[in-house]
Amino acid sequence: MTIATTRTARNDPVPSMRRTGDRFVVVAAHITSEYPTPRPRKVRMYAAVSSSTLVGITGRPITVEVHVGQGLPGFTVVGQPDEGCREARDRVRAAMLSSGLEWPNRRVTVNVATGERRTDKGGGASLDLAIAVGLLVSTETIEARQIENLAFLAELGLDGSLRAVRGAAPLAAAITDKEVVVAPASAGAASLGANVVVRAVSCLAELVAVLRGGHRWPDHRAPERCAAGDRCADLADVRGQQFARAALEVAAAGAHHMVMVGPPGAGKSMLASRLPGILPPLDDAAAFECAMVRSAAGEDVEGLARTAPYRAPHHSVSLAGMVGGGGGRVHPGEVSLASHGVLFLDEMGEFAPSVLDALRQPLEEGVVRVSRSGIAVEMPARFLLVAATNPCPCGRSEPGACRCTPSARQRYLRRFSGPLLDRFDVRVVLGRTAGEHLTSLEAGESSATVADRVQRAREIARGRQGTPNGAVPAWMIDDVAPLDAGALARMRVLLDSGSLSGRGFHRVRRVARTVADLAGHEGPLGVEHVETAVALRADFMPGLDPR
Amino acid sequence: MNDHDAALAVLAALPRQSPARLRRLLAGGDPCKTLQSIAVGGRAIAGLDPSVWAAWAPSVATLRATVPAKCEAANITVAVHGGDGYPPALVGDPWAPPVLFMRGDAHAVRRRRVGIVGTRHATRAGRAFARVLGDELARAGVCVVSGLARGIDVEAHAGALAADRDGAPPVAVVASGCDTVYPPEHHRIWHDIAECGLIVSEAPPGTAPTARLFPLRNRILAALSEVLVVVESRARGGSMITVREAAKRAIPVMAVPGAPSSPASEGTNLLLADGCAPVTGACDVLVALGLDTSRTWARIDTRVAPSSRGAEILAVLRSAAQTVDGIVLATGFAALDVAVALGRLEAQGWVAHADGWWEALPG
Repeated sequence: MTIATTRTARNDPVPSMRRTGDRFVVVAAHITSEYPTPRPRKVRMYAAVSSSTLVGITGRPITVEVHVGQGLPGFTVVGQPDEGCREARDRVRAAMLSSGLEWPNRRVTVNVATGERRTDKGGGASLDLAIAVGLLVSTETIEARQIENLAFLAELGLDGSLRAVRGAAPLAAAITDKEVVVAPASAGAASLGANVVVRAVSCLAELVAVLRGGHRWPDHRAPERCAAGDRCADLADVRGQQFARAALEVAAAGAHHMVMVGPPGAGKSMLASRLPGILPPLDDAAAFECAMVRSAAGEDVEGLARTAPYRAPHHSVSLAGMVGGGGGRVHPGEVSLASHGVLFLDEMGEFAPSVLDALRQPLEEGVVRVSRSGIAVEMPARFLLVAATNPCPCGRSEPGACRCTPSARQRYLRRFSGPLLDRFDVRVVLGRTAGEHLTSLEAGESSATVADRVQRAREIARGRQGTPNGAVPAWMIDDVAPLDAGALARMRVLLDSGSLSGRGFHRVRRVARTVADLAGHEGPLGVEHVETAVALRADFMPGLDPR
Repeated sequence: MNDHDAALAVLAALPRQSPARLRRLLAGGDPCKTLQSIAVGGRAIAGLDPSVWAAWAPSVATLRATVPAKCEAANITVAVHGGDGYPPALVGDPWAPPVLFMRGDAHAVRRRRVGIVGTRHATRAGRAFARVLGDELARAGVCVVSGLARGIDVEAHAGALAADRDGAPPVAVVASGCDTVYPPEHHRIWHDIAECGLIVSEAPPGTAPTARLFPLRNRILAALSEVLVVVESRARGGSMITVREAAKRAIPVMAVPGAPSSPASEGTNLLLADGCAPVTGACDVLVALGLDTSRTWARIDTRVAPSSRGAEILAVLRSAAQTVDGIVLATGFAALDVAVALGRLEAQGWVAHADGWWEALPG
């Protein structure tokens, strides 16, 4: 067997690269016909090309070094390349041959080292174009001075076309002193960064034509800075649920995390999805950060969205999907995608306990840290948490209708108890919407009206303590939310009767402050504010967790 | 425990035992001799399946060692039909249990007795009513007989226990052994009743609560009641089995009326439609028992009178349970104002809520 194999190999040698290349030149003739294939003049050994890589949601500028030298034909990538970068060899070679460019049939070494911090895995498919350009400079197809002022960010298709890359926005934003060459599909995202000049090019041959002179940079449409159509569903569509609407308004005005307990069909998700519409619009910094996260997560980003993001992951979401991470490189998770907006967890009890536990640190610090061996990636995670659940496994809430045993109910709700439940300042129990409300033609209050009140309350809070009421630290609470004599007496009664816990006391004051802000009330909190805040902190699992 | 009682306990604990078999065994003469005959593989008593008789033999030795010991450990006494300590109310009953296990004050069943039964999935208002009814009947010297199940049963017992010490002790008729607490969360009240009332079971100690035992328990509960009150029940619930058992024995059944929309009152409303007498308070039951009601202690409502808004909301809740939304619709108040008013009413004891529904509580 062994002898036969050897003989076959000897008799039928592997076709040379040049031959393969010739074949591809014919196949991709439609690309090459427009731009004549240049011949290399003399051999240059080395090229350095600017590009950038993604760490979490931040781009980091790097230099791709390409060396073409004597030796056995081969291609090596060094400097901790990741999987996408190792595959670059095959893509770059196919793209160059398809574009009618000669593949240097020599020893090629590519270094993707990222400078002083060599610990993270570098590369990804976004370095394809930089490697190809490095090869072209090394083989003197392009002059080195032509690329001095350029950085390259694109994946190559086997036909030589430039493809969009994940995270084009942060990748381009990392490059401050050079023009950035990207695929047309990435141009919108890449131009979001400040002071970035973007050159969109559709294929490798086109790029070579430009860099060899004689052709101008092709035009691409500059995207609008403000994306159109970033509207979300209106609160006017929600019929009935007056109490839950009021709670939603308080949650938005104070940035209080909220939990809704109600039977299926009560409108929990419908209410939650209306929350971005009543939150204040994002400012420049927040909108930019949201765009960076979305781009890094691989979403198409065309402009800066001003509406707060809304994320509603399914309860089967993995730990990496929720907080970020993933195989190979660190992707932003749902907590980062929801940053500056709303993270809605429907059927909260169905989420894996480990996933819910992982929310605690982002809730506490407003950022999420994903640690890998040798690298810790920090991503933004300042979101408004809204959770929903059925009151029990059967979901029937009318008095006497539920047939669940007390232990089954306890098991179901126990997942909410503990440290995570502490975070929910607003807790509402919803009944099914009355038929009279559903069939009523009278639309509810619109999002715009509610948003105005929310905005005003937020401004009052910002003027007073600089943060929304939900984020007021414990040491500041006595200054921010003092109680008048009546309110103090009422609180004492609630505390003494055991219907309010010591922990609940402090949380209730924050919500009471928001209630007062919404009412335009200044000064110490009155009885009515405190009582409203207590009513907004429903005791939905008696015996398990005192409010 | 004497040999006679020990033998009775062991006979009742034999595997695959049933009231009919046990009755035949006891008809065969002295229980000690019958047990010995089973142990040594003697001739089967007439009317008993010989294969069952033979299958009993191997288990006698272990049961002899364990069952009397369990009885003594938990202070459980054994009463045989027609013997001392057997409840007189059951003696004439055609389906009377041949052997009864009792734990606590055996004289409790010699007082006037009212059975209170109802669904395990009761509303807050229904539970509150059962508790008040149990309390007032116990104060009036009437013994509350119930099943110590979740929902209505346990509330009636809790009410009876809350009555002053001179009130009548509660009687619990349970399906499991007298020492086997079921459901587990009733551990505390189970022992309280064993302490100042009576727990009755047909099953020997250590018996786990299996589904077939509950209808058997219900027949004893019905037979022990002079009047049976159903507080809340679905159209097809366990309480309805008790009602049928009571009907077989011509024991009067009374029912507490509920809102037509309330699923927990379907059964009781049907009973009322069938001609059962309604119960709106302990007085109705006392009249049915033929007791003088003028001497009963009149309850004074000590709750603080609600505000005008609270009173309006309370009026809405008295007709049926509502969500906050429903109250908003009925009264026209703002949602947050309603929520605040409900919070006050709850603190004053006028209303209670569960899963977003608010109910008015009886006085």
